[in-house]
Amino acid sequence: MSSTFEPGSLEPGRDQGPPDVDLDRVWLGVAAQVWRRRPGLVERLAAAALRSPGLARALVTTASLLPGWIIASSIVLAAGALATLGTGASLVPLFAPAVAAAGIAYAYGPGIDPAWELAQSMAVSYRMVLLVRVLVVFALDAAMGLVASAASGTAAAVTFGWLIPMTAVSGLALAAATVTRSATIGAAVGLTAWACTVVSVYTESGQLATAVVSSSLVLPYLAVAAVGGTIAWFATRIPRGTS
Amino acid sequence: MNVEIEGVTRRFSRAQAVDGVSLQTGAGVFGLLGPNGAGKTTLLRMLATVIPPTSGRIQLLGRDPGGYGPRREIRRRLGYLPQNLGYYPGFTVAEFVEYFALLKEMPPGQIPKAVATAIERVDLGGRARAKLRTLSGGMLRRAGIAQAIVNEPELLLLDEPTAGLDPEQRVAFRGLLRELGERATVIVSTHLVEDVGAACSEVALMDAGRIVFQGSPDELIACGEGSGASGDAPLERGYSAVLRQARFAKEVA
Repeated sequence: MSSTFEPGSLEPGRDQGPPDVDLDRVWLGVAAQVWRRRPGLVERLAAAALRSPGLARALVTTASLLPGWIIASSIVLAAGALATLGTGASLVPLFAPAVAAAGIAYAYGPGIDPAWELAQSMAVSYRMVLLVRVLVVFALDAAMGLVASAASGTAAAVTFGWLIPMTAVSGLALAAATVTRSATIGAAVGLTAWACTVVSVYTESGQLATAVVSSSLVLPYLAVAAVGGTIAWFATRIPRGTS
Repeated sequence: MNVEIEGVTRRFSRAQAVDGVSLQTGAGVFGLLGPNGAGKTTLLRMLATVIPPTSGRIQLLGRDPGGYGPRREIRRRLGYLPQNLGYYPGFTVAEFVEYFALLKEMPPGQIPKAVATAIERVDLGGRARAKLRTLSGGMLRRAGIAQAIVNEPELLLLDEPTAGLDPEQRVAFRGLLRELGERATVIVSTHLVEDVGAACSEVALMDAGRIVFQGSPDELIACGEGSGASGDAPLERGYSAVLRQARFAKEVA
């Protein structure tokens, strides 16, 4: 390769071809095809659904950015499934919202996402990238939850029962992470809030799983999710640039 | 004018990072000089629409970045290299540049060629498929420059672009800057006054959040002549003389 940044003379010897052939141009065409990343089926479908190739790329690369989180999610859910099998009680749902909360908090924020500053200057809104990442976290947790629930025999009903508390706790974690600009604090807030909910409901009803199966808690969960989402939205907005 | 800012301030809690800066610039390479903590990075972050000003008026590429639609349009035509370039270590150079090309909403059909061109322009063709985690500091900086120029930006903001580059690469980079400045507004924040002398048509010197000098590199050199200011090169003497004068004036005031 050339030792300069100047275009043209891209490689020693390449300018020795026939005068009517622009070898630099040919090389760029070849390099463009060799270096490009060909989107897979999931990315193509996501691009069509989201109407944004940028968001689709963010979607498919998110998971690969966070292998630690995926491993942690798998371990926590596997532990929940084993505990459920061993005790006969459905403990898996109690783990799921906490996993989602930690996952979302760790997928977002300055100091956590290395390219946060750069992403903030992009045309595709970073909040949209965030929402896409939330989708990835939920989708993966729900998929793992389905597998774990199937093992304990409570399958889909319980899994769907988790989704609302997951939304609530994740929304709360996200709001805390964005307000404090710390994913660690966000995760801690989400986990603490969920633990408090489980303990308080258990104290009242004597049933550990009440926190995820009681229909009376659906509305409070939805309210928390909505408030958390709103806080996250305001915390990440860019106010008018003039005053 | 691609950049028009008037009375812009930015405050972080009690600290006044930028204090009433006004600036207008069109196509060309504009150098932003100043000591650490002068407010250069904060000013660039505001121009990159990463943070809003506390007060004042900003107009970029004829648009107000305060509105969502205009801001999105500005960002499509913007290139930005932050001082601390964050990157995903598992990405290759080509994937990294391509990812940000997508986030800049470039037409997908144009992206592969644009990515290849940007990578070749920073002389990283030989490492295009190397993971970012395997690159040296200078190579990472060049990958950052590649993502900044991939969309042929009309407004290019570079914060310490030559940090980590060796002397040969810095010379080459100045050539690239001059070429980019023929069509676009390029604002370069740097500590290295020789970069400014070699590549910039206009320069501003910031100190304590304010612009204390604005003019051509020759005019900055003239400020140092006969001033007795320290410095090995004429531009450094001009830089020192202007800073000394600005600080003296502030003390008196």
